[in-house]
Amino acid sequence: MLFTTDNQTLEDLNIFGKHGGDSVYNIFNRCATRGGAAVLEEMFRYPLSDDAAINRRCGIIRYFAGAGMPFPFQSTLFDAAELYLSNTDERTKLSAQEHSVAKKISSIIAPDAETQQVYNGVNALAELLKGAKTFVSALQIQDGHFYAADKNSIAAILSEPAFAAIIESKGKLQHAAIAEFDIVLRFRHREEVHTLLRHIYFLDVYLSIARVAVERGFAFPEALPRGQHVVRLQGVYHPQVKNAVPNNISITPEGNVIFLTGANMAGKSTFMKSLSIAMFLAHMGFPVAAEKMEFSVLDGIYTTINLPDNLGMGASHFYAEVLRVKKMAKELSQGKDLFIVFDELFRGTNVKDAYEATIAITKGFAGKRSSLFVISTHIIEAGEVLKQACPNVRFIYLPTRMNGNHPVYTYTLENGITDDRHGMIIINNEGILGILEAGIKKWNQHELYCR
Amino acid sequence: MSFIADKQTLDDLGLLGRFRQHSVYSLFNRVHTAGGGRLLDEMFHQPLTDPAAINRRSIIFRYFQAQQPTFPFRHATFRFVENYLGTGGAGNIAIATAGMLRKKMMGALLKDDQFNQLQAGLTATIEALLSLKDLLRPLDIALVQPAADILADKRLSWLEEERGLKQLPVMKAARYDHLLRNTLRREMETLLDIIYQLDVFIAVSTVARERGFSYARALPAEENFFSTTALTHPALADAVANPLSLDGNANVLFLTGANMAGKSTLMKSFGIAVYLAHMGFPVAAQHMRFSVRDGIYSSINVPDNLNMGYSHFYAEVLRVKKVAEDVSSGKNMIVIFDELFKGTNVKDAYDATLAVTAAFSKYRNCFFIISTHIIEAGDALKQQCDNIRFAYLPTVMEGNIPRYPYTLAEGITSDRQGMIIIENERITELLAT
Repeated sequence: MLFTTDNQTLEDLNIFGKHGGDSVYNIFNRCATRGGAAVLEEMFRYPLSDDAAINRRCGIIRYFAGAGMPFPFQSTLFDAAELYLSNTDERTKLSAQEHSVAKKISSIIAPDAETQQVYNGVNALAELLKGAKTFVSALQIQDGHFYAADKNSIAAILSEPAFAAIIESKGKLQHAAIAEFDIVLRFRHREEVHTLLRHIYFLDVYLSIARVAVERGFAFPEALPRGQHVVRLQGVYHPQVKNAVPNNISITPEGNVIFLTGANMAGKSTFMKSLSIAMFLAHMGFPVAAEKMEFSVLDGIYTTINLPDNLGMGASHFYAEVLRVKKMAKELSQGKDLFIVFDELFRGTNVKDAYEATIAITKGFAGKRSSLFVISTHIIEAGEVLKQACPNVRFIYLPTRMNGNHPVYTYTLENGITDDRHGMIIINNEGILGILEAGIKKWNQHELYCR
Repeated sequence: MSFIADKQTLDDLGLLGRFRQHSVYSLFNRVHTAGGGRLLDEMFHQPLTDPAAINRRSIIFRYFQAQQPTFPFRHATFRFVENYLGTGGAGNIAIATAGMLRKKMMGALLKDDQFNQLQAGLTATIEALLSLKDLLRPLDIALVQPAADILADKRLSWLEEERGLKQLPVMKAARYDHLLRNTLRREMETLLDIIYQLDVFIAVSTVARERGFSYARALPAEENFFSTTALTHPALADAVANPLSLDGNANVLFLTGANMAGKSTLMKSFGIAVYLAHMGFPVAAQHMRFSVRDGIYSSINVPDNLNMGYSHFYAEVLRVKKVAEDVSSGKNMIVIFDELFKGTNVKDAYDATLAVTAAFSKYRNCFFIISTHIIEAGDALKQQCDNIRFAYLPTVMEGNIPRYPYTLAEGITSDRQGMIIIENERITELLAT
């Protein structure tokens, strides 16, 4: 089964970002090749939902992070090779026989573009084959290693007899040799060449992620088999926030609904994003911004953090939220195990409605023991009711400490429900009421007030 | 002093934006000439604050709406006239004639295009002057008098003779060319200017006639008054009209109502009507009378600015502060706050809404519309202040389906349909399976 997610989630978590801005994808995209970048995007588009596959990819990246090798190919070779391989026109085959003196002379003076392309392509692929051979023979790994399958596949392709002449060729290739290799590479063993390139692109991706993991000190998560319904995270933080404060959180079936409260600016949204990004990356088998992570594999992730309302369609924010909740409920009722995040549930309606709706929906979610939920709200009163009603709702909050008149945020999770209320303090800090009162006084003095 | 309306307000109300669909600007933008477009821009960017000037302009609109003249020029053809008159002619008649002859020769011998272009520009201009003459004949308004005078000038008496002419003899062309682009240069500029004004006045009054808009009467600021019997949103067809009045004894409207009941639309309608009225434009409100104000502030969709580290709540606080600074400096303002402090917890929002509304309401020279979900704050304000009007937009339940009549009712709402919507979507049942 596929791991499911949707556009709202990708946007909330800033996975791909807008207009090539700062995104999670860009953190990891250090690929040397265009093909590598495409493979990386593919991985982001299709996270895994199988613990063996996740652990395998994770193991490979961990191995390369330990090995610390640079990408063993020149990245310009790939552009030439791809361009060359994309030309499947049989008529462009070089011919070894028809090598008249006239043609020789004209090709010395100015070879035509197509021939030149074939020359470049064959030379580039020859380089790549030789490089792959060196790479594979230098790779000291045992059978049973995570990368062993890939390595064996590469080795099998390289041992193809038709490639032997190419790998063993030395120096500048002659026209006759190029014509011969052209047929092998571009037509007879086209599939193998493509498979080899794809292996190299994956290698590029692994190396680029490994480098990012080492540089940023990311941890490699461990995927547990499906069905345990747990997440244990130590020191998770947001990879795009500078000097982010790490937090520990573990979600278990005994407390699979996290009820998060806290003042504005206390970091609720950021924490939810950090946790969700970690879950997303972990399901890709990628390293995560945390010290340690263990998680059981789920079927999908859905977040609702910055939900836009669609007033043009006549739907208010509240209705947009209701529809979103309904979508989640549908997915859940199909028996999927999901990771669901709601930031400020039902903020688009009046207080009493929001209070009742929050309780009703949270209770409904709490009945789904095999999924994990994080719900933040401003309606702290709803928390008290839920405490009585649902034993598997866990309450955590992000505190605000007052330093004189200024609120200070620790960004560290604590257990319980907060009753921090600093909204009025912020208003007083800005002196709004003072401004208005001073204005009225001035008016009274000037007797302008009584008109 | 110019009318204050900052970018956030203009965006909230959807006022400007030539290329934005459904903006108020694009609603009125039916002008045919580039100069008319510039003039319309100018009017939109600089509303007036002098009641006499506002009424003067709205009387002109009213006149054109009654007369229903058709604007005879189209952008594609009028461009030639603008180009032609825009490029200067030669200094004296002899040189002008020589130049014309030279161009004619060049045209005949070298297939040079200059002569044809000149001819085209000249004939287009002559035709335009004739159309203008026809347009002005039935109009009797001070605005067009200078144009009528110019066209009645003896030096232009030949115009009638050239009606319907396609090709002018060279000598005649040279004479007319010199006259229009040199001797009467200043007069032609005046004519163009009046054509642009006619363009705007006719375009806007046509929109007003089609949509049934009417004209507001501007009163001096001292009267401290706003009233209309039927307010709607100009961009909405079949919008429900509501009466609305505010004055020194009731300068705050405290608006409640369920989501989708039309709170934001009502607030936007009010803001747009006030803005258009200050431009002297037709408004989507019947029998509107208003005292001129110094500006308008709205806070309808305050954007989060997370990149700057502001939360929604803080963004709102900063906005309120900005408004407070302007209001306390003694300006007569119109202030629209939609769902004040929705970005914070309930108790905070209650305290903040109460404190801020009470403090603002003391400025009886300013008009406020404040909407909120915290209906409890309304009850407290009722005790504290005597100058607050309470109104709500009701929701009527028809079986399980909410219906919104969009008509304003007195009081504070007690409608709560949120749970009904949730039940309609059968979410709890889905979760229970």
